[in-house]
Amino acid sequence: MAHRLLRDLEADGWERSDFPIICESCLGDNPYVRMTKADFDKECKICTRPFTVFRWRPGRDARFKKTEICQTCSKLKNVCQVCLLDLEYGLPVQVRDTALSINSNDAIPKSDVNREYFAEEHDRRARAGIDYESSFGKARANDTILKLQRTTPYYKRNRAHVCSFYIRGECTRGAECPYRHEMPITGELSQQNIKDRYYGVNDPVAMKLLNKAGEMPSLEPPDDESIKTLYVGGLNERVTEQDLRDNFYAHGEIESIRMVPLRACAFVTYTTREGAEKAAEELSNKLVIKGLRLKLMWGRPQAPKPDSEGSDEARQQAAVAHSGMLPRAIISQQQSQIQPQDQNQPMHYFNIPPPPQQERAYYPSMDPQRMGALIPSHEGASNGPSGSGENKSGPEKQQQGQRYAFQGMPPPPGQYHHQLYPPPYGYMPPMPYQQYPPQYHSAMHPPQPPPTNQHYQHSAPSATYPGSAPPGSTAHSGSTPAGSAQPGSRPAGSTPPESGPSGSSTPGSSQQ
Amino acid sequence: MPKVKTNRIKCPDGWELIEPNLCELDAKMREAESVPNDGKRKCEAFWPILKIAHQKSRYIFDLYYKRNELSRALYEFCLEQGYADRNLIAKWKKSGYESLCCLRCIQPRDHNFGTTCVCRALST
Repeated sequence: MAHRLLRDLEADGWERSDFPIICESCLGDNPYVRMTKADFDKECKICTRPFTVFRWRPGRDARFKKTEICQTCSKLKNVCQVCLLDLEYGLPVQVRDTALSINSNDAIPKSDVNREYFAEEHDRRARAGIDYESSFGKARANDTILKLQRTTPYYKRNRAHVCSFYIRGECTRGAECPYRHEMPITGELSQQNIKDRYYGVNDPVAMKLLNKAGEMPSLEPPDDESIKTLYVGGLNERVTEQDLRDNFYAHGEIESIRMVPLRACAFVTYTTREGAEKAAEELSNKLVIKGLRLKLMWGRPQAPKPDSEGSDEARQQAAVAHSGMLPRAIISQQQSQIQPQDQNQPMHYFNIPPPPQQERAYYPSMDPQRMGALIPSHEGASNGPSGSGENKSGPEKQQQGQRYAFQGMPPPPGQYHHQLYPPPYGYMPPMPYQQYPPQYHSAMHPPQPPPTNQHYQHSAPSATYPGSAPPGSTAHSGSTPAGSAQPGSRPAGSTPPESGPSGSSTPGSSQQ
Repeated sequence: MPKVKTNRIKCPDGWELIEPNLCELDAKMREAESVPNDGKRKCEAFWPILKIAHQKSRYIFDLYYKRNELSRALYEFCLEQGYADRNLIAKWKKSGYESLCCLRCIQPRDHNFGTTCVCRALST
């Protein structure tokens, strides 16, 4: 190797720069950063040429970070000078290259003078403005990349290193020790080598990520054929309905989009099942809007289990999922199975008689009142039978009034909107729904009166949610598992009325 | 080389009174200098040296400025012989710097971003 004594700076290709090329995570969360600049302070870890070292502290609880490789090397691979991860995606070089099928490795020599020469040549050409081929700006993000990329900065890597004295039990600095007093993490992932990471060869972290990408669960269509709604979670104020529309319109005709800011989610309903399936297939795990990674799941049918794992989310989803598939009543029934408190009963919205819940087996646990659900709805559900009596009468009256107004109302997609509100919010005025054309008008009529009776008939325990299912539910008769909950709790007398409404849909309410 | 009082130097009057203390401090300093520095941080190895240097200067400063037990001539003699640091004492006379530990802590050229040592920051 050549000696690095004082030589002519220009001739040697010792690198000078004005600002480091670093990623957001390495720069830190503090908008005020004091950085030192030291020309030719250290050798680049890859090409061993002296370069300008920048050193700063990326945040209050961070160690000082400094640039490890020179700008020439970092531009060749489009990586951060400190962490050597891709600047756009935050992924290791190996992952990005296999995902985008870039292979620039052959061109870059790796040893000795050859490497230095290559780096200097490259640097000189870049400075002279000669356009060298750079594939990084033009590559389109493909699926794997979208699934794996980091969307938010990761500051954990800026923590102090582990105190080596503490590992031996000898740290005498105690509380003022700036290093972490934790045991180091050992394992295959800890044996990393900067050159391997840079060239994208034999990188354990990259292997792990690639394996994970291969196994990411894909969103399977639910068995219930009538579900055309997708649940989108993880929203935030910046994501607008228009953004959702832009992302989803490509896969099929969108029937409606309902956003629920309270729960940071939205429901996208397609007019066709195929459209929904196509969207789910294409967007699952890859949906990133405005830098925010969104979770995509199927709208919950009345099935007790949501499509993917997630406990709370599933429940929430279940609660909201209906994107109009089920009247709130039914949904609440489902909810009662999962989480009694989620029932912010839709009933309010639909003064529609409970949909024919016959299809579902009714389990006592499905009855929200029994499970102690707080149901502010007209049912007056409150905890347990005792309280519900009073509550019921009040809301019921309201219900009655509205009932007629809403007769024809199909479960509009927006309804789930209300479902989300917790009981304290109480009842949402059905006003918005009045505009919905009473498509189901005819179907509605018969069911209408009976449900009313039902309400009165029921004493506290009965969850009349199903009752308020709009006739629209008949269209989805296949998916009315929740409906069954209701019949179960009703006193025998109400069964006949139920068969009325349910008559239009599949009969079979009698489970219990 | 231990500080040996040769005959060539003329000592002012009160010298015999303070000489034993100063000799003792010098001996402490020699011990501190000869300690091996294994297992210590770079700065940690200096701490005893700085402490004793501070102590020596403090002794002379106290005797002259606080207790007024030295004559001007004797004070200057001590400073010239190297028993105390003139620059450090000059700082101690300024308000706010009365218990400055050493001169390096307030030297901006020695620190990143031209600041001072963290020991100068208020501890509240």
